[in-house]
Amino acid sequence: MKVLNRSGYVLFLLVILLAPLGLNSRWMAVGTTFLIFSVVALSQDIILGKGGMFQMGHALFFGLGAYMTAILNMSYHVPVLWTVPVAIIVPALFGIVLAGPIVHLRGDYLLVTTIGFNIVFVQTLQNNVFNLTGGPNGIFGLDSIHIFGYDLSSQTDIYYLSFIVLLVTFAVMHNLETSKAGRALHYLREDNLAAESIGINTRVYKIFAFGLGAGLAGLAGVLYAMQYSAVSPDAFNFLQSVLFFSIVIVGGSSIPGVLIGVAIMFVLPEVFRQFAEWRYFIFGFAMILAMILRPKGIWPAKFGKIPAYLTKE
Amino acid sequence: MEIFFQQLVNGLTIGSIFALVALGYTMVYGVMKLINFAHGDLVALAAFVGLTLYEQVLGRSVSLFSVIVIFVLSSIIIAMVGVLLERIAYRPLRDAPRLSAVVSALGASMVIENGIMLLWGARMRFFPADLLPSLSWTVGGVVVSFVQLLIFVLSCLLMIALYFFIDKTKIGTAIRASSIDQDAARLMGINVGSIIIAIFVIGSALGAVGGLFIGFYYRGINFGMGWNYGLYAFVAAIIGGIGNIPGAMVGGLLLGLFKAFIAGYISSSWADAFTFILLIVILIVRPTGILGERVAEKV
Repeated sequence: MKVLNRSGYVLFLLVILLAPLGLNSRWMAVGTTFLIFSVVALSQDIILGKGGMFQMGHALFFGLGAYMTAILNMSYHVPVLWTVPVAIIVPALFGIVLAGPIVHLRGDYLLVTTIGFNIVFVQTLQNNVFNLTGGPNGIFGLDSIHIFGYDLSSQTDIYYLSFIVLLVTFAVMHNLETSKAGRALHYLREDNLAAESIGINTRVYKIFAFGLGAGLAGLAGVLYAMQYSAVSPDAFNFLQSVLFFSIVIVGGSSIPGVLIGVAIMFVLPEVFRQFAEWRYFIFGFAMILAMILRPKGIWPAKFGKIPAYLTKE
Repeated sequence: MEIFFQQLVNGLTIGSIFALVALGYTMVYGVMKLINFAHGDLVALAAFVGLTLYEQVLGRSVSLFSVIVIFVLSSIIIAMVGVLLERIAYRPLRDAPRLSAVVSALGASMVIENGIMLLWGARMRFFPADLLPSLSWTVGGVVVSFVQLLIFVLSCLLMIALYFFIDKTKIGTAIRASSIDQDAARLMGINVGSIIIAIFVIGSALGAVGGLFIGFYYRGINFGMGWNYGLYAFVAAIIGGIGNIPGAMVGGLLLGLFKAFIAGYISSSWADAFTFILLIVILIVRPTGILGERVAEKV
């Protein structure tokens, strides 16, 4: 099983690595979108799947990263590369500060509160606060990224940058799985009270998960801003958060499951463009059906090396 | 002071609508512990069904009879859709993990919202202006229209009726029992399955009335409006204390007033943000809402 799993990852990465050879520019753009949204969905998985917190406002952190890059680049003429640390740290700090007072809330209340954060965020952008966010139209005309004298502006460049970020995300997810923090999150998700009574500081680890997920989403936001060289409030509204939330749950909060979810949600509509109007109608049915047939997701996550006879209900 | 009283009137109108819709959320949450995300879209569907009844079935005839037919038939149709929704999307997931039911609810919401778009088109549709008398009275500079009065009075009557139904009748007692403890209710011989159907019938029908009020009051309706009203109504239910029926009524009216005053004194483009800031503050300070009781989480 493990060999199969590992060769699956190798095959997937090879396909992603070599895909640009056979794709035209439209499909390269679709591929890049897939990579970026995969990072966002996986970072949502850290909070929702690994941490077990019902978070439905993830587009906020994604958008914050994108807007940080856009504002610093357009209003203060900071090169895009230099905005990257800011676009990671600011969303991560927001994640920590916003999570602080709410992580103890019961599941559904947490869900509604995070929806609220997302709505406040989008309305703030739309109202063009401090004349920085560009109002409902957003900001457009960003510079491309320069590294070591190279101008990375072509679609292929952004594709590979996104690929590298996805690899980083895989590494983070893998380390999380095998580290103290990952185990702590696993226990507190299974049973918060039991985790607390064996001495896990659940509050700290929950806030940690929020910070980590938000930071990664912010990094994906930079890629998004580069891909479209524009940002607008509609790209980060509450519907996007709903989609990321659904992808993680339908996927079963495992890496393969989430990737499949992203592919279905964002790549499949490009294949069936003539049915664009039917997109969400069909997705809605698919979500209901997926949950009825596989209540734990299409590819349920397994944790660590716990023998099967111990995890059975 | 004129602005104050005018916004008071407007706030009570919109608040009554929020309250009616919030009742559906709070009853479903009380018994099933599930946020019925599709409820808001049932509200939107009701407005479209009502408009189609008027245009196709009643042949655009303007009379008191038409109005009554629209209200009664739409409520019945939406109640049936609500029962169908429960049967398809929620009943198979009763023993599944919590989040599976949430995603199923989100899926159901997408299906209804986009179903409306596919059936009726994406553009705005308008309720007839002359179906209800366009009377209005001016009291000391404050304008009160007939529609506003009707919405407020009818909502209050419905809520009082519901309150007595829940408080005094046998079915109402069974609903309250099921929302306190499903297993214990089952041991007392209550058929929780039929109670769930009952709350979907009542909740959806009340939501349908709310949807028609939106049509008569604002006149313009579109397929996406369900999310908005649904979200506001859900916030109202939480503010009042989710699962608590009088709480939903109080929460709805308070939220309507809050929104109207924000629109009147600050700016309507900030109304959503302020509403959710209020919600977040309330959840942090008093997570059980205004009328909710503090319930220890089950271990």
